[in-house]
Amino acid sequence: MGIVVLGVPLLLMAWVRSPQIAGQRDPIAQPVAFDHRHHVADDGIDCRYCHDLVDRSPYAGVPPTERCLNCHSQIWSTSPELARVWTSYVTDTPVPWRRVHQLPDFVYFDHAVHVGKGIGCETCHGRVDRMARVYQVAPLTMGWCLDCHRHPERHLRPLAEVTTMGWRPARPQSELGAELARRYEVRSITNCTACHR
Amino acid sequence: MGGAGEDWAGALARVEGRAYWRAVGELLGDPAFALASARERPLLDGDDGGDPASHAAALVPGGLSRRDFLRLMGASLALAGAGGCLEPPRERILPYTRRPQDVTPGGARWYATAFPLDGYGTGLLVESHEGRPTKVEGNPLHPASLGAAGAYEQASVLQLYDPQRARTPRRTRGAAAWAAFVREFAPAPVGGGFAAGGAGLHLLLEPTSSPLTASLLGRLRAAYPRAGVTFYAPLASAAPDDATRLLFGRPAQPQYDFSTAAVVVALDADFLSGMPFHLRYAHDWAARRRPASPGSGMSRLYAAEGAFTPTGAVADHRLRVRPSRIAGVAVALLAELLREPGALPAGAPADLAAAAARARAALDAGGAAQDDAAARGWLSGVAHDLLRTPGRSIVIVGERQPAVVHAIAHALNALLGNVGRTVRYTVPPLAEALEAAGPPVPLPALVERLRAGAVDTLFILEANPVYDAPADLDFRSALGRVRRSVCLGLYENETAAACDWFVPTLHYLERWGDVRAWDGTASVIQPLIRPLYDGRSADDVLAALLGLTGARTYDLLREIWRKRAGPADFEPFWEDALRRGAIAGTEAAPLDLRPAWGALAALLARVAGDRRARAAALTPGPPVGSDGTTGRGEPEDGGEPRAPAAADLELVFVRDASVYDGRFANNAWLQELPDPLTKLTWDNAAVVSPRTAARLGLEAGRLVRLGLRGRELIAPVFVLPGQADGLVALALGYGREGAEAVARGVGLNAYRLRTSDAPYFAAGATLEPLPGRYPLATTQAHWTMAGRPIVLSATLAEYRADPEFTAPHRGPVTALYDPFGYERGDQWTMAIDLTACIGCGACVVACQAENNSPVVGKEGVRKSREMHWLRIDRYFLGSADEPGVAFQPMLCQHCEKAPCEYVCPVNATVHSPDGLNEMVYNRCIGTRFCSNNCPYKVRRFNWLDYNADKAETLEMAMNPDVTVRARGVMEKCTFCVQRIRRAQQAAAVEGRALRPGEVRTACQQACPTQAIWFGSDTAPDEELARRLRDPRRYAVLHELGTRPRVHYLARITNPSDAGEAAAPAPAGGQPLPAGPGSAGPGSAGQPPPSPPPRPGAGQRAGEA
Repeated sequence: MGIVVLGVPLLLMAWVRSPQIAGQRDPIAQPVAFDHRHHVADDGIDCRYCHDLVDRSPYAGVPPTERCLNCHSQIWSTSPELARVWTSYVTDTPVPWRRVHQLPDFVYFDHAVHVGKGIGCETCHGRVDRMARVYQVAPLTMGWCLDCHRHPERHLRPLAEVTTMGWRPARPQSELGAELARRYEVRSITNCTACHR
Repeated sequence: MGGAGEDWAGALARVEGRAYWRAVGELLGDPAFALASARERPLLDGDDGGDPASHAAALVPGGLSRRDFLRLMGASLALAGAGGCLEPPRERILPYTRRPQDVTPGGARWYATAFPLDGYGTGLLVESHEGRPTKVEGNPLHPASLGAAGAYEQASVLQLYDPQRARTPRRTRGAAAWAAFVREFAPAPVGGGFAAGGAGLHLLLEPTSSPLTASLLGRLRAAYPRAGVTFYAPLASAAPDDATRLLFGRPAQPQYDFSTAAVVVALDADFLSGMPFHLRYAHDWAARRRPASPGSGMSRLYAAEGAFTPTGAVADHRLRVRPSRIAGVAVALLAELLREPGALPAGAPADLAAAAARARAALDAGGAAQDDAAARGWLSGVAHDLLRTPGRSIVIVGERQPAVVHAIAHALNALLGNVGRTVRYTVPPLAEALEAAGPPVPLPALVERLRAGAVDTLFILEANPVYDAPADLDFRSALGRVRRSVCLGLYENETAAACDWFVPTLHYLERWGDVRAWDGTASVIQPLIRPLYDGRSADDVLAALLGLTGARTYDLLREIWRKRAGPADFEPFWEDALRRGAIAGTEAAPLDLRPAWGALAALLARVAGDRRARAAALTPGPPVGSDGTTGRGEPEDGGEPRAPAAADLELVFVRDASVYDGRFANNAWLQELPDPLTKLTWDNAAVVSPRTAARLGLEAGRLVRLGLRGRELIAPVFVLPGQADGLVALALGYGREGAEAVARGVGLNAYRLRTSDAPYFAAGATLEPLPGRYPLATTQAHWTMAGRPIVLSATLAEYRADPEFTAPHRGPVTALYDPFGYERGDQWTMAIDLTACIGCGACVVACQAENNSPVVGKEGVRKSREMHWLRIDRYFLGSADEPGVAFQPMLCQHCEKAPCEYVCPVNATVHSPDGLNEMVYNRCIGTRFCSNNCPYKVRRFNWLDYNADKAETLEMAMNPDVTVRARGVMEKCTFCVQRIRRAQQAAAVEGRALRPGEVRTACQQACPTQAIWFGSDTAPDEELARRLRDPRRYAVLHELGTRPRVHYLARITNPSDAGEAAAPAPAGGQPLPAGPGSAGPGSAGQPPPSPPPRPGAGQRAGEA
């Protein structure tokens, strides 16, 4: 009896928080049907062309509208898919993108330091080059953050490969990671104010 | 505390030696106080009186029983689980369409600008997040700041975002467009313009040093030669200019160099926190107050004042004297110095010394006998020290003193050879606008013109005369005689309500402009944000009156500076001006002035003359920044500063440390900033000394009817030790009646008693106790020291005799717990020099602004729920009559063995490897065990959801790097961890180590005296390393073994050895106590220091 009274609510609480039910992996529809598959995989555009703040700001940065039009004022400029972008540019009103990776307000995540220490985009965001609509791959829970913060060497890659999708280490990660950790002075930081302020 | 008056004499007599006490109740052994302090909480509402048993009863929680509570908890928990079923709404990301080139979203940028106050500017660097100013810092390149920023500057961000700011122009009741304003007032053909020559046009504005405003005023005068201009600021006085005109034949501005002064004599001058340029003065003064080693010297500060100010609190010898007696003190000092053989300066009339002696005798005859012994001792000490340090002293006088006193101070500085060394003279920075505006019309003359119907259109630009003009002028009724009145203001204040036209003004963070500092250095005021509302600056209005509607103020400003930049290329000059925040080479022109000794002798003769002549000479001038010749009526009976009769009281109007002259009254940060001495928040009060309170049968909170020359005001009493007896001090700036909701009804309006013939102080005040009481919210009586060694202090002589007097309060201590395993790398630590702290409160506001601390309001403060992470404790020292004062900034000590951490049931407060005591809001469940177990009482609990329903604009004031806390969580100082982590991440990205001194906390940055210093223990900068080696270093409550990361350097004062018997009790110079209630070095098992060395013997040459 006691087990049921305690267990059923606990199971329910665990269940509603499971990735499937919490909608973690649901592709998010955006106001502009931007396809990462095409831009990353087909065109080979580096992540940092659009997300240019990633190595100098806490935010990777959703690109300003004018960034889209660097190319699209020349190619596919009349595509109906781009009407929303043109409207944004002409009327000087931002495109209201929907946030995919949403952290609580008391978490202060810094992209620049992660990218600068050799954490690849893919490590947290997955194979964006295979996503028609971007969805959240990692659970973004504190336990997940700490798994990496306790053993950062398991996820390090050379700085040159940070934006590479599908990168595989040429030699065992245990060896390479340890070496990169030394080279990039990567420390395991697990104290609270590293992220919460 | 009923009947407290009876016990005063006894209680005061019992206090001797270095006994620290926080509040008068403690001294009296008041049971109500004992109970309140025992539970470390103030009295509950409405239980100020009555028997202690009723207090105890009030402590039992009523209403909810434990059983009910658990039942409700269970239900809430069950429902909380269901809350997880709901997906939070998905946020939107709104990127720029075109990102400005120099903006990095997520990163902060700093822009230089300047904060104008009463015509003088302080250079600032303002932090901006994506075009949103959030935090003000001082500009290290600006002479008035040198990197520091005061409380007003810090709090100005909140004023920018104040949701109660006026938003649209209006005409009478209805909204009106700026275009309509231009149509009405711009010259033809654009608008209606004014009568030929501008007859009937009048402008009322603050004194200004702005070259742009001066040029616009000059052009206005050319266009409308018959227009009148009045400069008015309620706290500015004409007396200083009158004095230089009298003595030097022209207005001149004294420039003091406290960094080279060995002896400073402040006559009613709060130069450390209350005068223009005070940040710089405090910086320079503190530079000579750093006894880094026992051998180093210190300057010595003498202060004579009535109402207690931070300057008096840190003075080595403070003379308690009513403001009206300051003239007597100054004359006596002059006579004393002139008595020295050979003291007579060249060119002085031979009878100058005799004239001074006669004036002294005349003033002494009317002097108060009770002051005389103390005053004589103080004077002989001052004279002795001044004569020992020729050319290295400063005599400075407060603005509210009459011209005579200022003139005597200038004469003293000349006599002592200070001019050209510690004192220089320059052209006043306000002179340019004064000249451009033509013959100024003082406020009383303007009111006469208004009443005579001679003014057709009155423009009131960023002034509030309906509220703050002298009461006898009755500005409101005079304003009713004007055909058209126009008010430009930040708020719909009292004046706005009485005007036909109202135009919102721009906050200084929204506008272009320029301003000069006290020394003349010009800065460009550049906007940090586009105007939030439909406002116009005073310069915009002046330009509109000139018909310059096509030009932007920005263009006009550049035009002015293009002319002044000289032939060099203008763009680099302009860029440099904006980038540095101070334009090099714009200091005011120096003046080489010799005092007209004959004029001084004549002045002294007037003082020595009959009653009427003396009264005229000693009455402070009107509060008009331009002309002292008019508006000075013959004082009514009792106007002459003479000895008060037994029941006769003197009233002094003081600048308020929080709201200034009332203009900051709607700023909740400032309202909640405790006054440096009274620790009052959200109120002003009639402050009296304990002896006066006892004599009149008053106690704190008692309502009294204050009367002055037929005007009356009902005010609560506050008892402050150290105030001059027979003096009632009343802060200006409260009792606002405008549309500002925060300011409305807070405190009482002291301007109602202020008349144009006695704007600063007046004898003949009456005080009649009323039956009622009024609750005052003070932070004074919280957290008593209970006789423990919290502030350690010694005189310089004691320190030299025993340099290791703090040794028992530092070093290893036995503890049960194992030490925390720290990593290598930076170990954060702070060192606070108590010798330098002047208690001004800039750090408190800086902390609040940086860390998104909420305000709790008066009721919150009364329940001891204030949320300041950093407070400044003020301890009295010695007797209640002549107390010394020790200020102590108290914040989380970041203990290495933190008592709070051991008791937290949910690990919400833990230790970081770099020595921070971390507070994790999202773990905290609000048990408050940590606060109970904290010996320093620095933890703050969110009793209510203070951040709920924040106005949209106030959300913009939040620091995005700091969590906004919710109800039910504990919070406390984090050592500005967001700054540490930002700096560390920036260094990591750049692939380098943190530089020593790279991380600075908000409190450290704001502090004008650099009392607070922060850094890494393992890689300290030079200053931190020095402080960590300082023999004065100690830990508060060291014996507890908490191993704080905040180190204090003991407070050293420098009273003179000579003439000590005659001098009033110097701060810290009391004989050592024997009782257990003391907290000085004597109580720490130290032998009493050996007798102090004789003057000169143990002192390094060149120091006092």
